[in-house]
Amino acid sequence: MQAIKDNHQWLMALAVVLAMPLLIDSGSLASEVLIYALAVLGCNLLLGFTGLLSFGQGIFFGVGSYTLGNLLVRLDLPLAAALPLTVLAGVVSAVLVGWLAIRQRNVYFALLTLAMAQMFYFLAYTMTDLTGGDNGLLGVPRPPLSILGVELLSLESPWQFYRFVALCFLVAFWLLQRVTTSVFGRTLLAIRDNEARAAAVGYDVHGLKLAVFALSGGVTALAGGLLAMMAGIAPLSSIEYHSSEMILVMTIIGGTSNLFASLLGAGFYVLSADWLSFIWPRWLLLLGVLLMLVSLYMQRGLWGVLESLWRLLRGRRGAAPDATQPEQRP
Amino acid sequence: MTATPVRPILRAQGIVKRFGKFTAVQDVNLSVAPNTIHSVIGPNGAGKTTLFHTLTGTLPATAGTIEFDGVDVTALADHQRVRHGIARSFQVTSLFPSLDVRENLRLAVQGVHRLAAADGWLPPTGPRARRELVDEILERMGLTRVGGLPAGTLSHGQQRRLEVGMALAARPKAIFLDEPTSGMGVDDIGGMKALIHGLRGDHTVVLIEHNMGIVMDISDTITVMQQGRVLVEGKPEDIRNDARVRTAYLGNMITGGAA
Repeated sequence: MQAIKDNHQWLMALAVVLAMPLLIDSGSLASEVLIYALAVLGCNLLLGFTGLLSFGQGIFFGVGSYTLGNLLVRLDLPLAAALPLTVLAGVVSAVLVGWLAIRQRNVYFALLTLAMAQMFYFLAYTMTDLTGGDNGLLGVPRPPLSILGVELLSLESPWQFYRFVALCFLVAFWLLQRVTTSVFGRTLLAIRDNEARAAAVGYDVHGLKLAVFALSGGVTALAGGLLAMMAGIAPLSSIEYHSSEMILVMTIIGGTSNLFASLLGAGFYVLSADWLSFIWPRWLLLLGVLLMLVSLYMQRGLWGVLESLWRLLRGRRGAAPDATQPEQRP
Repeated sequence: MTATPVRPILRAQGIVKRFGKFTAVQDVNLSVAPNTIHSVIGPNGAGKTTLFHTLTGTLPATAGTIEFDGVDVTALADHQRVRHGIARSFQVTSLFPSLDVRENLRLAVQGVHRLAAADGWLPPTGPRARRELVDEILERMGLTRVGGLPAGTLSHGQQRRLEVGMALAARPKAIFLDEPTSGMGVDDIGGMKALIHGLRGDHTVVLIEHNMGIVMDISDTITVMQQGRVLVEGKPEDIRNDARVRTAYLGNMITGGAA
């Protein structure tokens, strides 16, 4: 029973991963949900667990796309080697960006990440040898996952690729769940709550922030790499500021109080984008309205709404509100 | 033959703290004897809290040296000084409001151990929960009953006690308390006074306090500051009768309390 309790978030994610093939026709769309969910997990680590509002997640996403693209296209590396290297590239770029950005707090921290997002975009734009510039890095293949020449998983069809993405997602989710409930993760919450006090009781706030940045960069780069494989291209748009914005919006819509909320946010955004853009090309306007509603009335995101509904259903309306989050208005 | 003076646990020399052109602390020397209560008093704006910040590492000093327990800690950041046995409380309550009271204390206990927070794998259970020490502090601060509540939901008096408890959790050699009774009701002040007095056995206490009743009753030494400098230093009875102190305080605040 304890194992179920400790892992209930992961089990909910597993249920979603298993249910998606039954509910969604397109394997690519389902893969996209999980890929963005990975990126949102990375953003949630910073925003929800450490209180860092980063506008630079697109950097790591783009670095992931280009790294994996180049490793597969130019170096022809096997996937089992290219993926860990992609994560490493994300970690390295996040340490670079983080090292500079965490020198400041709040607004100036956010501005620094924004400035660097722009810088990395122009870097990608000019380094055409590595990125293909405006055209993107074309012809990213989808080699099978094999270890020592033994093919474990073919990734050719969309649903085969989904299986692989799901595997990556579930492993990453489980690891992050472990990290966020660890001593390290609990200490991040202290930094989120009160940085000055955290330093005063003995924590190296800079070091811990840098560590969580590295982690966030790694998981976000993994997402970027997987998207490049899915699309067959590492496009310039993956490192554009819009990419950072999208990841941040998904994070906030889903909610930041736990990891599962990240899957909710990504799923909601990707699926509604898919449906709404089919009905109405100006669908982003609706998203703007939703974001306003979230900011005004449901700051705990979709997860908070689900939680309230659950309480209502169980007739526990009088239950004490969750004190870890700002109270919702009726 | 004179008796050998006790080696001070804290020796700050020539401390200067400037903010731009404004000098908040000007060439302050401070020696604190171990296992004593040493109070720093003075009118508002005298530079007491700024001096505290430089001593605990919250702010770097512009000039001067700080030696603590035989180690030069001048260049160390606040989180590094904690490991040498310095802990502090804040004038404005500074807790982890969304975390429960036990977790606040656990984090404060854990902070002393240099690499504990680097454990990204194991949860804070078993020995990592540091239960014994947390329970002891809850008991001492009279917070056992509210251990499971988020710190942000406590009453002001309870929050002030937790504030001091967080500093105690580090089991420091010296504990720096910045106006521990600020905003407290009359009923709570007596308890806090007894609590601080009781700390003297195990810790050195450096105290900023406006309540002269407390300061005069429990201090071993008092340093009076005015406009960033030390005006006088001495035992409570000397301070009470010092003409300069009376002038600095306009004669009215210093009379309270019995020796």
